[in-house]
Amino acid sequence: MKYLPYVLKHLRRNWMRTLSTVFAMSICIFLFCTLQTVLEAVNWGLQSANASRLVTRHGLSLANMLPLSYKQRIADVEGVRAVAITTWFGGSLPAKKEEQDKVDAGESGPDFSNFFQNFAVEAEPYFAMYPEYQIKPDEKRAFIGDLQGALIGRGLAKKYGWKVGDRFFLESFIPPYRKASGPFEFVVQGIYDVDLVRYPGTDATLMFFHQKYLEEGTGRRVGAGTYAVEIADPSKAATVSKAIDAVFENSDAPTKTETEAAFMAGFVSMAGNLALLLNAIGIAVAFTILLVTANTMSMAVRERRTEIAVLKTLGFSSGLVMTLILGEALVLGGLGGALGLFLSRGAISVLPHVPMIGGLFAQFPSFGLSAAVAALGFAIALFLGLAAGFVPALLAYRARITEMLRQA
Amino acid sequence: MSAEAVRQPAAAPIVDVRNVRKIYRRDAEEIVVLNGINLQVPNGEFMALMGPSGSGKTTLLNLIAGIDRPTSGEVIVAGTDVGRLSESELARWRSHNVGFIFQFYNLIPVLTALENVELPLLLTSLSKKERRERALTALKVVGLADRAGHYPRQLSGGQEQRVAIARAIVADPAVLVADEPTGDLDAKSAEEILALMESLNCDFGKTIVMVTHDPRAAEKAHTQKHLEKGVLKA
Repeated sequence: MKYLPYVLKHLRRNWMRTLSTVFAMSICIFLFCTLQTVLEAVNWGLQSANASRLVTRHGLSLANMLPLSYKQRIADVEGVRAVAITTWFGGSLPAKKEEQDKVDAGESGPDFSNFFQNFAVEAEPYFAMYPEYQIKPDEKRAFIGDLQGALIGRGLAKKYGWKVGDRFFLESFIPPYRKASGPFEFVVQGIYDVDLVRYPGTDATLMFFHQKYLEEGTGRRVGAGTYAVEIADPSKAATVSKAIDAVFENSDAPTKTETEAAFMAGFVSMAGNLALLLNAIGIAVAFTILLVTANTMSMAVRERRTEIAVLKTLGFSSGLVMTLILGEALVLGGLGGALGLFLSRGAISVLPHVPMIGGLFAQFPSFGLSAAVAALGFAIALFLGLAAGFVPALLAYRARITEMLRQA
Repeated sequence: MSAEAVRQPAAAPIVDVRNVRKIYRRDAEEIVVLNGINLQVPNGEFMALMGPSGSGKTTLLNLIAGIDRPTSGEVIVAGTDVGRLSESELARWRSHNVGFIFQFYNLIPVLTALENVELPLLLTSLSKKERRERALTALKVVGLADRAGHYPRQLSGGQEQRVAIARAIVADPAVLVADEPTGDLDAKSAEEILALMESLNCDFGKTIVMVTHDPRAAEKAHTQKHLEKGVLKA
């Protein structure tokens, strides 16, 4: 510890260089932690997948609907216990009161800054196979009995201040799900709770309404977005999936059936391999910062050749000189890491409130900088500092006093 | 430190250079810098090493200070054959036995005068308070206690060299070696530095080996030795 003031004084020698290096390091850690937090939030959602549930969708893409007639044929496949239609609605709230009036007058489109996930489902079979959505019996009855009824998560109710009996409007950005007369009107009939200990990853910010309301509202049989399929034996998921797809193999609308976990993971990767993309960005940035910091440390050591020679002349061993230089690099890494964590924490707390994209992050109930990501980010900063300082420190270790004094 | 490296014969000179050769190799070429040097410096001596550029003065000084090793021969300082010590042993030995005064002072610019003087004491087990007290005492000896908080850039050349001398004496070494200590100073400052070195020798009994080109500086020493082409002249 007695050498720490000496190390810190050297970092103050060239403020601009030290600050720019610390800032560069902090950008690296900021990016790493923020991207990892996004990835962690996405992966957290995948934990809610249940091994006894399959998802059947159109074989071409999620944008294609499946015929409603498929429901019975899927139910007839051996090993299938229950089937429920699930259609992603893609509805958004109008943002303000005046916008709401325009919506009422049919003048305004959806506002995506207030977007949340909403699904049209076949309520009774669907909630029978999703015990993680905990609904009070009277509210469940009221929801099932009201065609305009909506069941919302506690997180969503909290966000918008909704309670049972409140009304709101949604309009989908998917043209087939839009009504000529204006947005769909809903009445909150129930608020579901989640038990994250029993069912980790369960999203408390969803909204469900009746598939029948969607069909009647649009005046046509819109088809099913996906079928949620409950199977009797989770160990036979692959066999049952194959059997379902085989039924529709030669039809106009072939299916693709997979486990819920695979479906959710595939959904996440629709925008590309997210994990690979984010990790590649992180590695590229980290490598760049490693070079920047290594350059800074090399310059700092080159400028101080005489001082290193003096230290050695005074009796500082080569090992101690090397330790002091590594200490400087470690402090640089530590400062950059701390600043990066601070920036990342700020950005992560702000992201859910950013217009247009905020909703994307707000849907993750646990969106925040975790201790594990923060610790990993800080460790990476320290490692980058050490790695950057290693070569200059080694050169200082090996340098001979007389040669350094001659070069001065 | 190996037992073989330590020799303590009675009344031995504090610096004993025996038949030392120093050869540098540049590719296939061999450059003989010191050729069969024998030199004894008694304890409490103030010796000036003189000679033209390239004669090997600084190389000999570096060998005495333990920052370089002879190609052959022995360099025994304060009873230790420095050529036999490992790198880490040599570093520890230097911190206890040698104070080095450079031509260009070589103070650490980000440290104050007091912190510069305190540097060698970081290698000891002294407490921070004790280190500060000893560093301040050394600054008092060189007459710069009132400049303890000043950075090198805030000091004149003469003052910087005095701080460097304080740094050289703060660990109470057996030998002070000085490489052209007045070479970068004006006449007045040079005079002050030489007076200070005389005082360290006379009043504090420090053994000093000084390399210089300056005959006036050499006059202050008790003995003068001349090197020419790597050979010591009488």
